[in-house]
Amino acid sequence: MKGIFSEKPMLFLDGGMGTQLQAKGLQPGEVPEMWNVLRPHDVRAVHEAYFAAGSDVVYANTFGANAAKYHGTATLEEVIAAGIGIAREAAQRAGGRRFVALDVGPTGRLLKPAGDFEFDSAYDAFAEQVRIGAKAGADLVAVETMGDTYELKAAVLAAKENSTLPVLATVALGEDGKLLTGGDVECVAALLEGLHVDALGFNCGFGPDRMLPYVKRLAALTSLPIAVKPNAGMPQVVNGRTTFTVGPDEFARDVVALAEAGAAVIGGCCGTTPAHIVAARALCTGLAAVARQPSPRTIVTSGSRAVDIPFGDSIIIGERINPTGKKKLKAALSEGDVAYVLREAVSQADAGAHVLDVNVGVPGLDEATVLDSTIQAVQSVTDLPLQIDTSDPKALERALRHYNGKALVNSVNGKEESMAAVLPLVAKYGGAVVALTLDEDGIPPTAEGRIAIAKRILARGAQYDLKPSDFIIDVLCLAVSADASSANVILEALRRVREELGCRTCLGVSNISFGLPARPFLNATFYTMALATGLSAGIVNPLAADMMTAYRAFRALTGKDRSCTEWIEAFKDYAPSAPVAARKPAAASTGDAKGESALSAAIRHGLKSDAAAAAQTELAAGAAPLDVIGGGIVPALEVVGKGFESGTVFLPQLLMAAEAAGAAFEVVRSAMPSNDAGSVKGPIVIATVKGDIHDIGKNICRALLENYGFKVIDLGRDVPPERVVEAARREKARLVGLSALMTTTVCFMEETVKLIHAELPECKVTVGGAVLTADYASKIGADHYSKDAMGLVRYAEQLFS
Amino acid sequence: MTVSLEEIARYMRMGRTVPDGALAARVSELRDAALKAMRPSHTWRRFPLEENAISSGAMRIAIGGTLARHLAGCSSAYLACGTIGIGFDAFHRRVSANSGVDALIAQAIGAALIEKLMDSVEEEIRADLQPGETLVSRYSPGYGDFPLAAQRELLAMLDATRKVGVALTGTLLMVPSKSVSAIIGARKEITYR
Repeated sequence: MKGIFSEKPMLFLDGGMGTQLQAKGLQPGEVPEMWNVLRPHDVRAVHEAYFAAGSDVVYANTFGANAAKYHGTATLEEVIAAGIGIAREAAQRAGGRRFVALDVGPTGRLLKPAGDFEFDSAYDAFAEQVRIGAKAGADLVAVETMGDTYELKAAVLAAKENSTLPVLATVALGEDGKLLTGGDVECVAALLEGLHVDALGFNCGFGPDRMLPYVKRLAALTSLPIAVKPNAGMPQVVNGRTTFTVGPDEFARDVVALAEAGAAVIGGCCGTTPAHIVAARALCTGLAAVARQPSPRTIVTSGSRAVDIPFGDSIIIGERINPTGKKKLKAALSEGDVAYVLREAVSQADAGAHVLDVNVGVPGLDEATVLDSTIQAVQSVTDLPLQIDTSDPKALERALRHYNGKALVNSVNGKEESMAAVLPLVAKYGGAVVALTLDEDGIPPTAEGRIAIAKRILARGAQYDLKPSDFIIDVLCLAVSADASSANVILEALRRVREELGCRTCLGVSNISFGLPARPFLNATFYTMALATGLSAGIVNPLAADMMTAYRAFRALTGKDRSCTEWIEAFKDYAPSAPVAARKPAAASTGDAKGESALSAAIRHGLKSDAAAAAQTELAAGAAPLDVIGGGIVPALEVVGKGFESGTVFLPQLLMAAEAAGAAFEVVRSAMPSNDAGSVKGPIVIATVKGDIHDIGKNICRALLENYGFKVIDLGRDVPPERVVEAARREKARLVGLSALMTTTVCFMEETVKLIHAELPECKVTVGGAVLTADYASKIGADHYSKDAMGLVRYAEQLFS
Repeated sequence: MTVSLEEIARYMRMGRTVPDGALAARVSELRDAALKAMRPSHTWRRFPLEENAISSGAMRIAIGGTLARHLAGCSSAYLACGTIGIGFDAFHRRVSANSGVDALIAQAIGAALIEKLMDSVEEEIRADLQPGETLVSRYSPGYGDFPLAAQRELLAMLDATRKVGVALTGTLLMVPSKSVSAIIGARKEITYR
């Protein structure tokens, strides 16, 4: 049956089902799948009409038959089995080679992070549907009308893991050519190819004319059969009814263009009828099959962004989410402080990274759990594709499974154990994989030796159907201080991987300078040399100005940055560097109140970089760190805080002042001896309660608390009570802050408060949120009600004084 | 579609105070980014108002209590749903990771944008009115005693999940978060002579 898509040059699907059933009397709001048991003759008549029209495949009436969406009175088993059975009967009556597809549509729920539905719950719903459908005798699974890559992945995985049937997957593009959650054609193609569907394409959305550019794009990306099921034009509302106006002949003419662009599996969606299929079939039969030979590309994706790892250019993989040698990150990961990790992600993205490496290897942590949750959290704040960096195959599998998109895997190496563990996972979930040129005997000293290992890994990959374009070879950067030939060997290996193996390359560049002084200069120079040798991806720190300058300069000088646009953008405010202290502060921060210091004025005006510079100036002039805090930062904050309480300063201004104070505080803290730097108050655990995804209030509280010098452990939103208790216990927190925005989620707040008090009697709980009042707060047992973020700060100051 | 600093300031609870200095710069910068991230869409449909319900096929929204009083004298009602899209939520999550101020400003920008969108939806609906008809103000599930649970029927009757991508969480919150659904009554204009 797997050959269904290669049996004939052109395979015809059916047309619209919903619109046909409506014509037979299906009422709005009625569950269409119930007709499989209530009005089987009507459903069968639709299938028969399509088979008579020349459809090779009909979709059974099971589009919404998943546990998350379906709410009919018959069981799922009953409606799915009946649906497949009806279509089977119609197929038998029609005779010849006819096929029945289990139709799998979306759940109607939005998955996290956009919504609240778990990936695993979506998977379970689809898996149940597929098991019933396969057992009932479906010939293939047709996943369709998906508007979210993450839900698409859940559905395709469910189909592959719960049946042996071929899988056809189509998505619904919006008018801007993107999925509802922002994915484009490249994202969809990379994901579906990686998951090894048997055919892929588009359905619904619009008519065949507007589908053409996307079919062309898809044809250039994949060699798999392309399926199209367009609507009969754009929906139009006439007298309150949705109608489709493109008739069979016009539809067929436009479908021919789709076929000529490469579509080989053809049907219709909303508003199309058997007459549309007859007409399309008449015009498409006999068209010569389009031979496609897309050039191999290495694309990694998130849910809404595709990144091409180039062969003639280079991208940046941000290396900062890796606890090796980073105390703060290590602490954040151990404490479950998601917010810290997210800031690292966003700042690297803002600095220009294209892909982010995520490594959470901290001794004593359950890596599989932490990697999984960290990847999901990072994907919620950035659309950059991620590089999953772990040596634990269990952690890798869980992360790959829950990753939204096609990930970059870091890494496999030439050791048999590594190849046997990692390559099957990459083959199953899709992905590109970094191959390290080392094996049981270590890292070969010569380029020759490293090439040999790369070849071995590629050969082994071929056994799992992985192509050279699925690999990015890391020829490994060793310190030039330990071996004088190191840089030369690396550059030779980079060149030869490119020329002899036709593979893309990556490199952790800064290892080169290990053990030497003035590392930034060596790193940037070596980075330039590697770029000139054809490095496809540098694993670097995007916040390191020297590295980004080297990268931008290289691209400007080699014509990759057309018209030097990016260079100009990056350096439009460039001025030859001057000592920080000599920099002229902005006008507002010179202090408008008599006798006010520049530091205090900068804080009051919310000028972050001016505040940091002013603190630096005071320190340089010999002020003691504690005096800068006590004499400048704290009084300025006090003025602003009082202003807020009396209504002359508004919340955004208070927060800006607090951020400026935080920036100054950071400068002072780094000048303090390390034992004094521990003078941080807290910790305070904060969370938005289970069921609630509105976390603005909580985020504001976090920002303010942090800038008032508290250590905050932010557990994020939609946090179950047990996780709050667990974190508070682990961190020995004396205060927990909970927020809830909606009346429907306050019940979970109450549950959380009760659990904390039962388990941790010493711990105080303060609550806040739009629907809360002081009365209600005490009714649910909270120790304190925070009317706003400042109220929380005051309470915390009192508690920790 | 865009919004002014004044409009955004109202949603930052600054009243009539207009942001200046560093805050104004920050607001403008975030507004530009928000406009790129948003993807507004909307849908609406007119229904006859029955005795104490609006219905369509098997779907039915019961109308009683404060909503019934609000719709007194109306013979028809429009159901409407608008959203500035899921991309705005992603943008909001991103800026919130870095800064509480940005989180607050972005949320105010979103609130101002969805309000503006709904105003324009109302204008569009107004153009659909029959001669002599006028609209009463928008009323959403969760106002007064109009139950939040009516959200399910309201969105289903508009086919809003498919048409504009608005879905509900298990706790009946709308996603994308900057979305509005409402019932807007239409009644004969009262003319005084």
